[in-house]
Amino acid sequence: MRSERSYELGPLTELVLRYALPGAVLIFCVLSHFAEAWQSVLMGLALCLAVLVTAHTLTSKIRRISLRKSELDIQLIQSQKMAAIGVLSSGVAHEINTPLAIISQEAELIQHAFGRGVLEGLKEAPEIKDSVAQIVLQVDHCREITHKLLSFARKREAISQETNINGLIEDMVQLVEREAKLNNIRINRKYAQGLPPVVTDPSLLRQVVLNLLNNAVQAIQDGGEVTASTGLEGQNIAVMKFTDTGCGISKDDLANIFNPFFTTKPPGKGTGLGLSICLTILERLGGTVSVQSEPGKGTTFAVRLPVGRRVGQ
Amino acid sequence: MEKTRVLVVDDERDFVELFINRFSKRDLDVAGVTSGAEALDYLDQHEVDVVVLDVKMPGMDGLETLQEIKKRHSFVEVIMLTGHGSVQSGLDGMSYGAYDYILKPFKIDDLLKRIHKASERKLLKAKGGA
Repeated sequence: MRSERSYELGPLTELVLRYALPGAVLIFCVLSHFAEAWQSVLMGLALCLAVLVTAHTLTSKIRRISLRKSELDIQLIQSQKMAAIGVLSSGVAHEINTPLAIISQEAELIQHAFGRGVLEGLKEAPEIKDSVAQIVLQVDHCREITHKLLSFARKREAISQETNINGLIEDMVQLVEREAKLNNIRINRKYAQGLPPVVTDPSLLRQVVLNLLNNAVQAIQDGGEVTASTGLEGQNIAVMKFTDTGCGISKDDLANIFNPFFTTKPPGKGTGLGLSICLTILERLGGTVSVQSEPGKGTTFAVRLPVGRRVGQ
Repeated sequence: MEKTRVLVVDDERDFVELFINRFSKRDLDVAGVTSGAEALDYLDQHEVDVVVLDVKMPGMDGLETLQEIKKRHSFVEVIMLTGHGSVQSGLDGMSYGAYDYILKPFKIDDLLKRIHKASERKLLKAKGGA
């Protein structure tokens, strides 16, 4: 989920520069001064040294490659899993939507009939009315879930536009701030000045930012702080961080939070799709999201986006 | 370049009139209606680039109207207007495909910039998202 690039010299280059090259020069100088008899011994030593250096370099290189490969494997499995769940959930949602629509129309018909006085004089009338109202309410709830499933599975068309990241985050902060204040939560801004505009899809990015800010606020029980910050990494990566002083995420949960339908909220309170939607959006935008958390202390979500990349087809 | 065509939808008639008045002076082609149903009728008969839509309206509310607009006219971009800044309506609006969100009261120039960005997106989308 997190891509890191190293700008240091590769170990091979470093070893050659630091050891092998001076070694070879030294050996050459020594050789030209010593008698023939020593020459073969020294040649042997030089050969050993060369073999050792090469072996060492190769093992460390292989180790790094296999580490990177397993990271990529995990990412691949994750995105295949998301795609499969997307297909499954949109199929289910479509199938269920039609019967849901019929149930709610029938329930409305019944309610209309009540309005015309069909139940007049019946002792159980209030109970029946209550039941039908419950049916309407629960069907609405189901429809909300199917809608979220469909929006999760929808292929997100990304249209790139030059976007002022600080402005975009500030808009979403203001949207969250009023409700946050009611719960005694302060929102700090640490926006880097002079950020270049980022070429990305602003409406998709707003969805990500609002989701992360909302999660940050909800992680705080009674009073705390949320900090939204922006910055640049190198020349080309814009970073947005959202830190809360909330309950934190346990190690076990941390491995699952980007999985669709994973939620720690009580049943009916969350669908568990927020973060997985964020992840699919960021994949679409060529970005990443990473998380650091300490239970009891708080959590930081970091979003990284390439500054100049154009996405879309 | 042609003028950007904007439709404002708000149940407060005074606001709609003020909006048309102000934004017509900013080189936009502006029309206004006062309900979600009227907005859908208007869109059936006229070409519109950007809809500025109030979230809270009696009858068909902003979120329902947004869903219908996106279903019937997916190329139209929608900017939601909200007076109270409800996070849930924000999350819903974004997932239904609203382009942007602006809190009331807003500055004319601020909204104007967003309208231009929304119309730029519509043009880009028509060109195939390049």
